[in-house]
Amino acid sequence: MPPPELLSLSSNDSYTSTTTRRIHPQLHIKNSLKMSRAVGRTTDWAEEEDEDSPQAQLPPPQTIKNKDGTETTITYTIREDGKKIKTTRRIKKTIVKRVVNPREAERKEWAKFGQEKSKAIGPQSDTTSVGENIVFRPMANWKASAEDKSENEKKKNNLKDAKIKCRICSGDHWTTKCPFKDTMAPEGDNAGAEVPGDGPDEQGGLGQGGSSYVPPHLRGRGGAGEKMGGKYERDDLATLRVTNVSEIAEEQDLRDMFSRFGHVTRVFLAKDRETGRAKGFAFVSYADRTDAAKACEKMDGFGFGHLILRVEFAKKAT
Amino acid sequence: MRPILLSGHERALTQVKYNADGDIIFSVSKDHVVCAWFSHNGERLGTYHGHQGALWTVDVSPNSEMLATGGADNTMRLWEVKTGKLLKTWDFATSIKRVEFSPDGRQLLGVTEKRSGHLGSIVVYDIDLDIEAEQTSEQALRIVCEDSKATVAGFSYGARYIIAGHEDGSVSQYDAKTGELIFNTQVHEADMMVTDLQWSPDRTYFITASKDKSAKLLTTNDLEVLKTYQTDTPLNSAAITPVKDYVILGGGQAAMDVTTTSARQGKFEARFYHKIFMEEIGRVRGHFGPLNYVAVHPKGTGYASGGEDGYVRVHHFDKPYFDFMYEVEREQANL
Repeated sequence: MPPPELLSLSSNDSYTSTTTRRIHPQLHIKNSLKMSRAVGRTTDWAEEEDEDSPQAQLPPPQTIKNKDGTETTITYTIREDGKKIKTTRRIKKTIVKRVVNPREAERKEWAKFGQEKSKAIGPQSDTTSVGENIVFRPMANWKASAEDKSENEKKKNNLKDAKIKCRICSGDHWTTKCPFKDTMAPEGDNAGAEVPGDGPDEQGGLGQGGSSYVPPHLRGRGGAGEKMGGKYERDDLATLRVTNVSEIAEEQDLRDMFSRFGHVTRVFLAKDRETGRAKGFAFVSYADRTDAAKACEKMDGFGFGHLILRVEFAKKAT
Repeated sequence: MRPILLSGHERALTQVKYNADGDIIFSVSKDHVVCAWFSHNGERLGTYHGHQGALWTVDVSPNSEMLATGGADNTMRLWEVKTGKLLKTWDFATSIKRVEFSPDGRQLLGVTEKRSGHLGSIVVYDIDLDIEAEQTSEQALRIVCEDSKATVAGFSYGARYIIAGHEDGSVSQYDAKTGELIFNTQVHEADMMVTDLQWSPDRTYFITASKDKSAKLLTTNDLEVLKTYQTDTPLNSAAITPVKDYVILGGGQAAMDVTTTSARQGKFEARFYHKIFMEEIGRVRGHFGPLNYVAVHPKGTGYASGGEDGYVRVHHFDKPYFDFMYEVEREQANL
């Protein structure tokens, strides 16, 4: 039966460092050097320089035994920027008794040698320290769960970074929530910039709307009879409403499909703001109504993704 | 799990080894010094001085009396574990990349580096177990690796075979008595160096780690690949844990290659895979450089890792480590 042996001061320490937030890495080394000098070890010139430095004037490290069985160690160091640092750490030492085989017990009694020669029993602070606690919990499917986490975080970050900008008034709200939704067309749209009165005096003949700027492609057809009711009317007349759009569709997909029939001025695909997926409907505006009519005819019933598109002219906004 | 940090080395660690009882850890690094540590509290027992160059490898005899080291000063040395006394120095033309004792401690193997004019080789010496005795300078065996140099090697069960991993990603089986090559098989991807070879407790199978980002479990008798553990980083080391059916893999992008890859933090982790299901079950972070070696406590209660950052981190496993079981394992245990 192997003898029970008092094995270790396992450093189950929960040390707190007060007075300083950052403990300089040299902290341990310097102190230990000082201690080793005290026991008469030869030092080399690099360390000797410290003698004249303020390092020598620091109070010696203190160890206080607390009532609850813990120890408080106070050490002093000087940081590179010359500030004096007092480090207080409270260490709780637990003695763990373990039964080991005689070979191990014998080895435990071996004298130290080499660089450790004549050093005190127990771990030296210059070579041994205790790291921060690591939680290691093995789990099946570790990889999947780790990836899930990072992906979710990424999405969250994306949402955080994404600036909400209204396409009608450039305010920081969603376009659908815009108070001017019914009265203004989206910015950058053909009839968009609404600067009544002070534009160049070229009148496109759209009359009633009072818009001073007329895009070039509309100028020639200014007086066309079918245009009535104002600028929104014009927009709606060449706009198709596309429904039953696949969830995974992108605006570019629609643009590619619809630009076959003519110049597409705007594609709007409604997306869910949480998931970023398409809501299932979109608007496609053409520069020319005849193109729109052609597209409407051809694309209605077109299979896109796993769904069949339904295309019709957009209803007039009220 | 609160790891113990051993900071006795000034340069990158190259190998870390537990002795047979697991109470002492030996570490070697590129700073020429060998350190011995008590594994339970991280106290340094002593240092072994004498080498003149970076150290690549260390091994301790099964009775924990002798220590063998090899390094870039082209010597292989034998030390007395207890006192740090140098017992024997063997000189070579090139550096020693790996040393290992046979399971009975009566033989010592060394892997020599290849250099212009010198082929890589595996040398074997007979060891006198008496610590006072004069050790022989005569090689009991010399295996020359003509095709691709050996990077790692070890004795199988009963010192029957010598198994070697090569620079080209292949693994060879030699007869340990005659030195004859029995066969060689391409295990890892071509030209992806085998970086480590560690045995199961009974030495009937072993694990190899390679730069091809995978580790493989092979049988000793016919070098059959039993399991493959695929990772996303070049591996430097792999170890089999006793008690629980896990393997620990260590690696990371080498410092010289860092600029050519993404600088994502956290590749410097010890990766735990389930030995049977080949699935990753967790990681332990801590090092801030690649892990050069991982060694497992022979009783399976902890592991130590040596990193390029110059630290050895000694971990003692907590309860969750031992409790973890797959559903099928649990069913089996409850039967």
